[in-house]
Amino acid sequence: MNPSIPPSTAEYGGDEVSAIVLDPGFSTVRAGFAGEDTPKSLIPSYYGKYTYEGEEKIIFGDDIYVTPRPGLSIHNPMGRDGIVEDWDMAEKVWEYSFTSRLTGSKPGNPLQNGLNDALPDGELPTEMEGIEAEEKPLADSPLLMTESGWNPSKAREKTIEIAMENWGSPAFYLGRNGVLAAFASGKASALVIDVGASNISVTPVHDGMILKRGVQHSPLGGDYISSQIRALFKANSPQPITITPHYLISSKTSVDAGQPPQAVYKTFAPEKAPHESYRALLEERTLSEFKECVVQVWPGPNRLTATGPNGIPNEEIARSSPGRPFEFPDGYNQVFGVERYRVVESLFDAKAHIPDSESPFPAPTPAQTLPELIKSALNGVDVDIRPHLLANVVVTGASSLLYGFTDRLNQELLQNFPSPRVRISAPGNTTERRFGSWVGASILASLGSFHQMWISKKEYEEHGPSIVDKRCK
Amino acid sequence: MSLNSGVSINDECVTSYKEFSLSRGKTKYMIFKLSDDKSEIVIDESGGEKDYEVFRNKLCDAKDSKGRPAPRYAVYDVEYELGGGEGKRNKIIFISWVPEESDRMLRMIYASTREGLKTALGPAASIHADEKGDIEWNTVLYEASGGKAGK
Repeated sequence: MNPSIPPSTAEYGGDEVSAIVLDPGFSTVRAGFAGEDTPKSLIPSYYGKYTYEGEEKIIFGDDIYVTPRPGLSIHNPMGRDGIVEDWDMAEKVWEYSFTSRLTGSKPGNPLQNGLNDALPDGELPTEMEGIEAEEKPLADSPLLMTESGWNPSKAREKTIEIAMENWGSPAFYLGRNGVLAAFASGKASALVIDVGASNISVTPVHDGMILKRGVQHSPLGGDYISSQIRALFKANSPQPITITPHYLISSKTSVDAGQPPQAVYKTFAPEKAPHESYRALLEERTLSEFKECVVQVWPGPNRLTATGPNGIPNEEIARSSPGRPFEFPDGYNQVFGVERYRVVESLFDAKAHIPDSESPFPAPTPAQTLPELIKSALNGVDVDIRPHLLANVVVTGASSLLYGFTDRLNQELLQNFPSPRVRISAPGNTTERRFGSWVGASILASLGSFHQMWISKKEYEEHGPSIVDKRCK
Repeated sequence: MSLNSGVSINDECVTSYKEFSLSRGKTKYMIFKLSDDKSEIVIDESGGEKDYEVFRNKLCDAKDSKGRPAPRYAVYDVEYELGGGEGKRNKIIFISWVPEESDRMLRMIYASTREGLKTALGPAASIHADEKGDIEWNTVLYEASGGKAGK
């Protein structure tokens, strides 16, 4: 099926149109047509910048990975806390996510855009206003966007402003990630644990509303885990491991495990080399693979550093399980044993943090670990609803797919909240786990009945951007 | 207004619920479902069987058009003894039944419509279930009585 043909399931104001669902994260932006199972467009939130013949060029999407252009630097419009910092660029990145795969660029109506009119000699079309209005990228599409539970009012207002004024969307709604993920699991009340790239968050949702006083988040997300893996590589024996991305390797020879790599490297003259942020971006890809193939969460019970009931330290048990091999782009390969547990242990136990003086992440405080975030979240809500939340723990976010994560979470919950009714609901389907809130938003926006929720352009024009706080609670 | 599906509640749900709450146990339960066109919540069935298990089995056996387990809402008239000779009480409990094996779209719609229906009916207590074991009689008794009976 052609990806640019929208499904004709949604209705708005009686007309068949497809709403667009846009779920921007720190690491990726997910965009797609409402009613579909998965977002058709999945692009990095990062963009690249370089200068070519004196002109500044900006590139988006997967193009940022492809060519190591001279001076190419990589940026992210989002701050580490998941709030937009650079609005101009956030708008451009998000716009790329739907114009590249979903809507295409909008040509004006060929009957009215003047290009096909027979012109009297020497006269050029002067009416340009109508053409511009037609060219806004979302002129035909209602837009449902998602946001974190701690997105400030100012950012919400800026978002609706972009959607309405710059993209020309006829209708808009902003939904909280936590509520959408809870709904997608069939629950109106839930404790939503979202493990993303830049944050882990715990969001209590009750009767379809976020309980703001309970929302907790900390920076121990996927990127923090990457920094822990880097720290592990530096301290590796017999030798530290350097990640050399593919673009710096012209050929490699297979070597035995633990032996120095034998690769032929590409070199770039300083004026031809991309910025170090480009290398960091590509190293991150290798680290992602490492997380998927090697890293494992100690399943519990108790911490990795604790001693089990029969006097054997948990580390010993972890050591006795078979290691996992990993080959780096330069051919270096090694089997990772108990270390593969250590790189994620600090999500649960701050003392297990692997120190690295060069890491941009400071050592976590105990309050930032997941068990403590959950405790604080529950302490922030009414006593009566705590059991209901614990019976409906929803796990979402790509980094929650770390091997063994939900087992450990279950153990931590059982230890901290002894109750017969603690239950985790984590979709086994990786698409649903990675795109939980997108999937929820996609279903909602496809419902005919949802039309009464949309903020229409007219309402926006009457009330201004502040309408978003009144309508999207 | 918080985020919700916008699915409407058929007037009959509310009028019949009023009659049900005044029927003093003649009707023991009502089951509600999403209409086939997914636009509104309608009454699926109601009954007067005194045996809770008859109701629980009916609720948990609900199927969608493809024969898969389907979500439902229900209200049940819970009767309990206060103990100490204080006599019997009746409380209506609202149940949302959303089994994990049900269709993803239905799960989403039932979750995002729950609050609208609950508010329209105004029952004394509510409980959510995704497994049959979540609505054992004792659990329902406990929730409906606010902890005064059951468990």
